[in-house]
Amino acid sequence: MGETVKTIAKERVDEITKQTSEPAWLKDSRLKAFESYLKIPTPCNRDENWRRTEVDALDLSTLNVVVNDSKEKKAAKEPAVITAALANLGKNLPYIYTTPQSVEIGNADSELLSKGVIFCSLKTALAQHADLLSKYLAPENLPCPDFAQNDKFYLMNQSLFNSGAFLYVPKNVVLESPVLNVLSSGEETSIAIFPRVIIIVEQGAKAEFVNLCTADKHKTTGESQALSLVNSSIETYVGANASLSYLDVSDFSANTFAVSRVYNEVKKDGSLHASTIALGGWQIKSDIQTNLKEPGAKSDIRGVVLGAGNERYSFNTIQDHIAPDTSSTINFRVALKDSSSSAYLGTIRVSKEGQRTDSYQSNKNLLLGSNAHADSIPKLEILADDVKCAHGATVGPADKEQIFYLMSRGLSSLEAEELIVTGFFRQVVQSCPVDGAGDWINSLVADKIHS
Amino acid sequence: MAAREPLLKIEDLWVSVEGKDILKGVNLTINPGEVHAIMGRNGSGKSTLSYTLMGHPRYHINRGSIIFKGEEIGELPPDERAKKGLSLAFQYPVAIPGVSVSNFLRASVKAVRGKEIPVKEFRQELKAQMALLEVKDEFLSRYINDGFSGGEKKRLEILQMTLLKPALAVLDETDSGLDIDALKVVSTGINTLATEETAVLLITHYQRILNYVKPDFVHVFQSGQIVKTGGSELSEELEERGYDWVTQELTPSGVA
Ligand SMILES: Nc1ncnc2c1ncn2[C@@H]1O[C@H](COP(=O)(O)OP(=O)(O)OP(=O)(O)O)[C@@H](O)[C@H]1O
Ligand SMILES: [Mg+2]
Repeated sequence: MGETVKTIAKERVDEITKQTSEPAWLKDSRLKAFESYLKIPTPCNRDENWRRTEVDALDLSTLNVVVNDSKEKKAAKEPAVITAALANLGKNLPYIYTTPQSVEIGNADSELLSKGVIFCSLKTALAQHADLLSKYLAPENLPCPDFAQNDKFYLMNQSLFNSGAFLYVPKNVVLESPVLNVLSSGEETSIAIFPRVIIIVEQGAKAEFVNLCTADKHKTTGESQALSLVNSSIETYVGANASLSYLDVSDFSANTFAVSRVYNEVKKDGSLHASTIALGGWQIKSDIQTNLKEPGAKSDIRGVVLGAGNERYSFNTIQDHIAPDTSSTINFRVALKDSSSSAYLGTIRVSKEGQRTDSYQSNKNLLLGSNAHADSIPKLEILADDVKCAHGATVGPADKEQIFYLMSRGLSSLEAEELIVTGFFRQVVQSCPVDGAGDWINSLVADKIHS
Repeated sequence: MAAREPLLKIEDLWVSVEGKDILKGVNLTINPGEVHAIMGRNGSGKSTLSYTLMGHPRYHINRGSIIFKGEEIGELPPDERAKKGLSLAFQYPVAIPGVSVSNFLRASVKAVRGKEIPVKEFRQELKAQMALLEVKDEFLSRYINDGFSGGEKKRLEILQMTLLKPALAVLDETDSGLDIDALKVVSTGINTLATEETAVLLITHYQRILNYVKPDFVHVFQSGQIVKTGGSELSEELEERGYDWVTQELTPSGVA
C-alpha cells in the first residue's frame, strides 16, 4: 500500500481510457504500462540517469492529472504567445495551442492538407488516423530507447499521455516552413500534464517542427510552492532521404518539474537536426536518444541551457550508431547563473556493425554564478574498430580577458556577461536550420538574462 | 601651458602583478590634446601601464595615484573609466566568438555616450569611419577579433577609438604588425583622433609611426619607470642608437 501514497491513481488512467475515443490497442497499452508503472520504484538520484534530479521532492499523490477532453477547435483569436513566436518564425504558420482547458488550431494550410500532410492534436489523430498511428504507438511497435527501460516516468507518460501533437509528412512532400506546437501549462499549480508528440517524415520528405512549452509565469511564481509535473514524450521518425529540423523551446514556471524524453530515428541518408533550448523550470530532466538505423543517416543535435536561481538541469544524450557509415554531432552549451546546476551525460554508442561512424560530441559549460555547478560526463561505448569519434567538454567561468575588453569599452560587468553569454549560445543557435529561430532564441535568451 | 588642468596626472605609481613589482614609480602628466609617445624595451612595463590605466583587475596599485580629469580613478572599474573618457587600444585584442562587431560597437558607443543613438545615424557615422580606416563591411557581421589577422585587429581597435572619441586614447603598439599601407591608414585614424580635445598616449617600438603621428613628447620607459623625456627628436635618437646609451646616461649604478 505504501506505493499508492506517492503515486498517480489508477482512476486517472481509467478516466482517460473511458473519455476518449481511442482504439482498443491503445487502451490495453495504457493499462499495461500502468501496471508496470506501479511495480517500478520511483527513481532516486543514486541512479546514474537521475543524477542531480531531486525526484523525492515531487509528491505524485498531490498532483491532479489533467484530463483535457475538449475537442480541437479553430482558434478565434491568435494567442499572444503564438504571435510572439511567429513574429520571428514567420507569420501565418500552422499551429496547435494546448492549455489544460483547451486545444486550438490556427492557420491551417489547405495546400498542405491536399498533399496529405497531417498536422493536428494527438487526440484528433487517434480518432481519425488510428491505423497510421498504430505503426508507431501500438505496444509491439514501440521503440525501446535506453530511457524506456524500467523507467517510472516513461511508463507514466505511456499510460497517461493525453495531449500533444501529430505531424505526418507523406513521401516526397516538402514543407517549406515550420509548423508550431505550443503547450501552455497555464496558471495552475499541482497539475500533471503528459504531452506526447509524434513526428513522421516519410521517405524523401522534408519538415520543420517547432515545439514550445511555456507557462504563465507571472501567476505561478512566488505565492505557492506547489509543484507541477510536465512529463513529455517525443518521437520523431525520419525516413530514407528525408529531413527533419526540430526545435524545442521550453520555458517552464519555477514550480515545474519537467521530464522530457525524446527518441529520434533516422533511416538511410536521412538527416535530423534537433535543437533543444531550455530556459527555465524548477527541475528539467531530459533524455535525447538518436538512433541512426541505416547507412548514411545523419544527426545534428544542439542544446542551449540557461539556468538561473536554483534551477537544476539534467541532460542525457545518446548517439546510437547502429548502421555503418552514419554520422552525428552533438553541441550542448550550458550557461549557469546564481546557484543553478547542470549535469550532462553524453553517450556515443557504436555497434559492431557501425563501421566508419563519424561522431562528435561537445559540451561547454559557462559558470556565471559563484554557486553554479556543472558536471559533464562523456561515455563511449564503441564496438566497431573503424570509427572517428571526438568528444570534448569544458567547465569554467566567463573569460576574464573578454569581460575586461568589453568593460574597457564602457559596458558594465553585467552587460559584458550578457553579451558573452549570448555569443556563447549564438555559435550554436545561429545556424539552426529553422528559419528565424536564431533571432528568436537570442531574444528569449536576452529576456531570461535580464529577468 | 600650466594654466589648464592636466588631463592625466600619474604620480609615483607602483604596480604589481601576481606579487611581482612591475611599475616602480611612474610619473607622467598629459594635457588635453597632447600626443605622447612611450618607447621602451620588451618587458619594461609599457603594457602594464596601459592595463593599469584602464583598470584591469589583475594589476594592483601599491602606491601613487592616477588623476584623470581631476579625479582619482585608481579604484574605478574599467567601464566607469571608459565613460569618463579613457580608452585603450589593446596590444593583443581578445577574440569574443559569437559577439558580432556591429552589435558590440553599438552597445559600446551607447554605453560610453550614455544614450541610445538612432540606428540610422549610427550606421552613417560608422560607415564614414570605416571608409576612413578602409575597414571592409563584412567586418561588421563577423565576431569580435575572431579569426582576424593581426593587422585587422589593430584596425578594429582604431575604429573603436574614432567612434568612442575618448579624451585620452592609450594606443598600445597599435602600429606593430602593420604593413606600410595599413600603417598609413591607421596613422590617419590616430591623427583624426588627436585633436585639441583628444590626447593620445602612443606606446610603440618604432620610429616609423612617429613619421606620421608627430608626438609632443617622447618618453623612454625602462624597468617600470619613465627614465627620460624629450621631444620628437628623442625617438630618432633611440632609433639610431638603441636604448643602451639611455641606461648609461643614468646613474652609473643603473636603475634598480
Ligand atoms: N600576469 C603576469 N604574471 C607575471 N608577470 C607578468 C604578468 N604580466 C606581465 N608580467 C611581467 O611584467 C613585465 C612587464 O610586462 P609588460 O607587458 O608590461 O611589458 P611591455 O613593456 O609591454 O613589453 P612589450 O614591449 O613586449 O609589449 C614583464 O616582465 C612581464 O613578464
Ligand atoms: Mg606591451
